[in-house]
Amino acid sequence: MVADRFPSPFDIETPAGAEGWESMYDWYHLFGPERRELDEGRFWFADRLHHPDVLHPYDEIQCECWWQALGAFNTRIFAMPPAFGVDQRILNGRLYVTPVAAPPDDVAARAEEFGRRAGHYYERWDAIYAEWKEKVTAKLAEIRAMRFDPLPDLEPESTVFDHVGHSAGFRMIRDFDRLVLTMYETYQYHFELLNIGYAAYLTFFAMCRQAFPDISDQSISRMVGGLRVELYRPDDELKRLAKEAQRLGLGDRLSGTEDAATLFASLREDAAGAEWVADWERTADPWFLINTDPGHPGGYHTYPTWADQPDIPLASVREYLRRLTDGESIDRPTDEVLAERDRITAGYRELLSDADRATFDDTVGLARQVFAFIEEHVLYIEHWMWATFWAKSHELSRALAAMGEVDEPEDMFFLRRYEVAEAIYDCVAAWSVGSRPRGADHLRPLIARRREIYTALRAWEPPPALGPPPSQIDEPFTVMLWGITTSSVSEWLRADGDDGTLRGTAGSPGIVEGPVRVVTHPSELPDVQPGDVLVCPATSPAWAPVFARIAATVSDVGGIMSHTAIVCREYGMPAVVGTGNAVSSLRTGQRVRVDGNAGVVTVLEPA
Amino acid sequence: MSGDWVVPLGDAAAGDPDTVGGKGAGLHRLVDLGVRVPCGFVVTTDAFRAALTDAAGTVDTVEAPLRDLPPDAPIDVVERAASTTRARLLRAVAAGPVLDAVRTAYDELAGGICRVAVRSSAVGEDAAGASYAGEHDTYLELRGRDAVADAVCRCWASLYTARAVSYRAHAGLGAAGAMAVVVQEMVPARAAGVFMTLNPANGDRSTVVCEAVWGLGEPLVSGAVTPDRFVIDKISGEVVRREIATKERSLVRSAEHPGTVEVDVPADRRDEPCLDDAELAELLELARRVERSAGVPQDGEFAVAEPGGPARVQLLQTRPETVWSARAPRAAAPSGSGSALSAVLATLTRGASAAPPHEGTPDHGG
Repeated sequence: MVADRFPSPFDIETPAGAEGWESMYDWYHLFGPERRELDEGRFWFADRLHHPDVLHPYDEIQCECWWQALGAFNTRIFAMPPAFGVDQRILNGRLYVTPVAAPPDDVAARAEEFGRRAGHYYERWDAIYAEWKEKVTAKLAEIRAMRFDPLPDLEPESTVFDHVGHSAGFRMIRDFDRLVLTMYETYQYHFELLNIGYAAYLTFFAMCRQAFPDISDQSISRMVGGLRVELYRPDDELKRLAKEAQRLGLGDRLSGTEDAATLFASLREDAAGAEWVADWERTADPWFLINTDPGHPGGYHTYPTWADQPDIPLASVREYLRRLTDGESIDRPTDEVLAERDRITAGYRELLSDADRATFDDTVGLARQVFAFIEEHVLYIEHWMWATFWAKSHELSRALAAMGEVDEPEDMFFLRRYEVAEAIYDCVAAWSVGSRPRGADHLRPLIARRREIYTALRAWEPPPALGPPPSQIDEPFTVMLWGITTSSVSEWLRADGDDGTLRGTAGSPGIVEGPVRVVTHPSELPDVQPGDVLVCPATSPAWAPVFARIAATVSDVGGIMSHTAIVCREYGMPAVVGTGNAVSSLRTGQRVRVDGNAGVVTVLEPA
Repeated sequence: MSGDWVVPLGDAAAGDPDTVGGKGAGLHRLVDLGVRVPCGFVVTTDAFRAALTDAAGTVDTVEAPLRDLPPDAPIDVVERAASTTRARLLRAVAAGPVLDAVRTAYDELAGGICRVAVRSSAVGEDAAGASYAGEHDTYLELRGRDAVADAVCRCWASLYTARAVSYRAHAGLGAAGAMAVVVQEMVPARAAGVFMTLNPANGDRSTVVCEAVWGLGEPLVSGAVTPDRFVIDKISGEVVRREIATKERSLVRSAEHPGTVEVDVPADRRDEPCLDDAELAELLELARRVERSAGVPQDGEFAVAEPGGPARVQLLQTRPETVWSARAPRAAAPSGSGSALSAVLATLTRGASAAPPHEGTPDHGG
């Protein structure tokens, strides 16, 4: 008997040991009795794309950024005809979301507004995008310049002789607010271009499907992708460093297995080695400011960047070096990809009626313009901005710990952002007065309890969705970004896995067999062996180096536009994305067949 | 009226459909394109007329029973008249220099020992607008000069089967005209089938749809077996869909005697795809060349010669596709839009269809 709905959010029990979890999140982010009637009638799905794990209270900032900004730009600014925003709730520490549709009666009027408003952007896309890069880079410079040091016993003389007129304590209060608000502001820019960009991209998709019902998603993507986008720059820098190592005759010295710190120390002992390490260090800022979260880069404060953990990029450099030594080419075949893009575009175009060709040309042109942004914004915001935001947050947490406001830096992340502001005030006031903060004594039991709750919540397996599913899932962004479709939802309802297959979205074509390698944290990446089938919640561009080693990728979340799908197409290896539960149902070592044409993973060796 | 009675497929004279019929002219085009087709020759319409004239005086004498039929004659009356006509024809052509020319041509084809297919090639068939699909006779796996001459006569006679007569009447094509006959070396087929350079289920012109079975293709054409079905993207070359049927029986060359025999497919091959990716890629390449050269969507038949492998796909015939070709290509955008913005608006207000479907839509065609 297949259920026709998922459990009500109001019937989900609190996991044992997690009692009181609600205090970890803002009240407006929770299911509550006042909205019960509304919320029980809605279909919520677990947003494992952006937040595959339990949220720390502090990291709720991440959710709030896009909750508000996406909504405002869809609903209020561009009047996206069919779609309002995406509503959010936190349940047992997990983020659930539901897209809000525009009232059908409003769609026509909204379309007229959208035409004028988005049309303005489409006509000037490249110029607006150039301005956009300046705006975002300015925000990046702004938060990079912020400093969160323990407050000094005595203010520096410059406070006096430069007539600064305010105290370090005030500046700590102010700068924390600025830090958070700068992230909020950046998210306005994130959605200034993103969803109208997706709308144009989706249109090209719809147009191709209309004319060529049998065309594969991959063919459509290939007409648009393959651009020389900056997103590939970090990986290209790794390749360049591998070539440099070869040129400097360092191949043998890099072929060992010692960690980055030991290796760099020994390299610095001679001129050639020192030159290479200096090159590495110059390259690291900004190109190794790459978050390593599985899924949405920068989604959590807990994942390191390449710069934080040079062992991750070093493993890739070593792999590239090995391939260079074997005489392989490691360059991305950009020219071939572009030539292939133009060939297939011309091929499909030729099959259209004369009347359609002008629209096709205009739309593929726009789709390519927006696609560069769709790929590149990830580098600017998900990587650079978030990496810097989290680095500054860690800096603040160390300052607060040093001043005794919390016992250890990580404690701060068990406080909500408003609680952090309170703690800063408590700390600053005591510092100012020369008194003692209530701080750690007050916060200690609260944080200790939240650590217990956090552990209990992590052991809980969240249902993939809540509430009644719609008969048809046709909200275009849900389908494209989250990979959630009518059939994947009915698959979830069926409690699948009985027949030894997992179904997802065909992200990249090809069929291969290989042993499973489950990876849920980037620290496990070095374990990946050549020929493995990578099974993960999702990948991020930070994982790119591993793609040189694996045979296929299977992800829990993501649609055809997810990084996993894009990168696998780029590397020409099969991918099945959005399977929902590959990580929890497959074991490392098990042999599977990955069919990237059909979107099916078959277990060849029972668990 | 003194043209050649027999012309090789590659001969310039084999390009004239009035002389070699629709199928013959189509095969000649393929040879001209450099596409692999089995070697062979055409017994021309001049040969047909000469055979009848020699023996019976005129074609009119043979066709007389049909000529007197009223337009709305009941089927059994048509059947009787057609049968009389065929008998007259077979009697009339049984001897004479024309069939000797056919025998000589067979002898010259691979030393007169090879197995051949003998196929009707009526004038007017296989043209855009009328397919004549399966209206005339075909004989497979024949060996020996007399067997071939006999089959040629039967093909001539099949111009006057009741169904062919009815088809012509239905299609408004009038009198029988003349019949050419194609004689080709038989491909020892590991697998065979049909293809179309569009998807007949939805008119998608970016695909080549192919159906195939183990062995010879005839059971597929006649609808006796369920074939494997492949949808190949013309531009990217991807096989976007595969529907593999359980293929229990196949028609193959008889080992002992000329002719064909129906056999069980070995158990381990029944559920296997009968074409591999390399063969599909070859077929795609051939189909695209043919379509480009013809300028309109095509359908056709092919065979993969034993034992499979590279350069084994041969085309047995092609002709213009007659249903979708008559229409404009599928529209990509609402008419009169022209700009990307109007396309975006159309997509966003259309709702459901905006999202890329998760799965291929099932279709049934071919």
